[in-house]
Amino acid sequence: MIQIKQFNYEPSEHEAETASSSYLMSLIAIIVGLPLPIVNLFATLIFYLGNRKATYFVRWHCTQALLSQLSMLFVNSYAFWWTVSIIFKDETITNNYIAYIIVALIFNLVEFITTIYTAIKTRKGIHVEWWFYGTLTNNICKV
Amino acid sequence: MKKIIIQGTIIILLFLASYFVLSQIDLVNVFKVQKVANKTEQKLGELFWKTIKETANENNNLHILESVDKIVNQICKSNNIDRETIKIHVLNKNEINAFALPNGHLIVYSGLLLNSENQDVLIGVISHEIAHIKLNHIMKKLVKEIGLSVLISMTTGSGGPEIIKETAKMLSSSAFDRSLEKQADIKAVDYLISAKVNPEPFANFLYNLSDKEYATPQYLNWISTHPDSRERAEYIIEYSKNKSIDYEPILSHETWEKLKIELNNLQEN
Repeated sequence: MIQIKQFNYEPSEHEAETASSSYLMSLIAIIVGLPLPIVNLFATLIFYLGNRKATYFVRWHCTQALLSQLSMLFVNSYAFWWTVSIIFKDETITNNYIAYIIVALIFNLVEFITTIYTAIKTRKGIHVEWWFYGTLTNNICKV
Repeated sequence: MKKIIIQGTIIILLFLASYFVLSQIDLVNVFKVQKVANKTEQKLGELFWKTIKETANENNNLHILESVDKIVNQICKSNNIDRETIKIHVLNKNEINAFALPNGHLIVYSGLLLNSENQDVLIGVISHEIAHIKLNHIMKKLVKEIGLSVLISMTTGSGGPEIIKETAKMLSSSAFDRSLEKQADIKAVDYLISAKVNPEPFANFLYNLSDKEYATPQYLNWISTHPDSRERAEYIIEYSKNKSIDYEPILSHETWEKLKIELNNLQEN
């Protein structure tokens, strides 16, 4: 799922710090954004936009963090609106709802742990590529 | 590019497969969702009923209680509603009001009984409140107005008495959403038709409420808790249009008249 790879060049201390922050951005935003899944995406997006002209290492990790947040947005938004419709509208708690929430929680947890791990590794200047997201980032983010 | 599509598809399939497998398990029972929800509602019902009871005396006139009980019994029987789930209470208060609390507590003020022009109006109002109970509107309104966490804190005893008092007041004197009111009206019409009660007097009652000249201070409570009365009267009439059957009174003429006399005596005392 996670691969440590050799990057094109050795990132500087400052680059490693900024790249690591892009992952931390989504974690810090969880505190604010727990009920509203879009807050996490916005935090990562703002960080990404702010670092568009940064070095390749920073841009690469900002993109990977943004992509992971983007996919979680769909999962979490669906869970969020389903919950809202149960509380305020006529929907009831069903097996399907609980199953969805469990799967969403597992995916969120996996993403959360991976994000922490990647933030720590990136801070040390180690390049970490996620399964699917890493490949996608390689395609989007060019030198 | 092919690698990305394959990997992306695997992730999506993994998500869907986990969801499918988990949804085959009876998770509602595993997590005892219904049991927890019922227990919370039961505790809240008791809490609010205790608070409301402090605001007025409970009516213990046998004839009045039996008459109201007969109405509720008939509506429940005709609509396959478990009678045990509706706990009716009549309170001596001049306000024209009836409202539902969690766990099926239905409060009717003597002012409503006394001022109902005929039994069909009273049955209409009671049916409307039973519909709110059966459609679970009370818990939905509570969650929306004060939040789930405050409700749970009330059941564990950590909610302050002032909050409980204010919430009970809110339940007795504020409206549901327009859509919830409509749902309850339509359901009430179904209940009335099944119980062979004419819904038209109930609709007329609502129509009259929308007339400002009718809005004596006594009626203000009902108007504030049930806005858009004219519109509601119109859709009740429209919905019940082609459903006319042979209507039968639930209470005999004598019982209804005696009820009024008893209530008048009560008021004079």
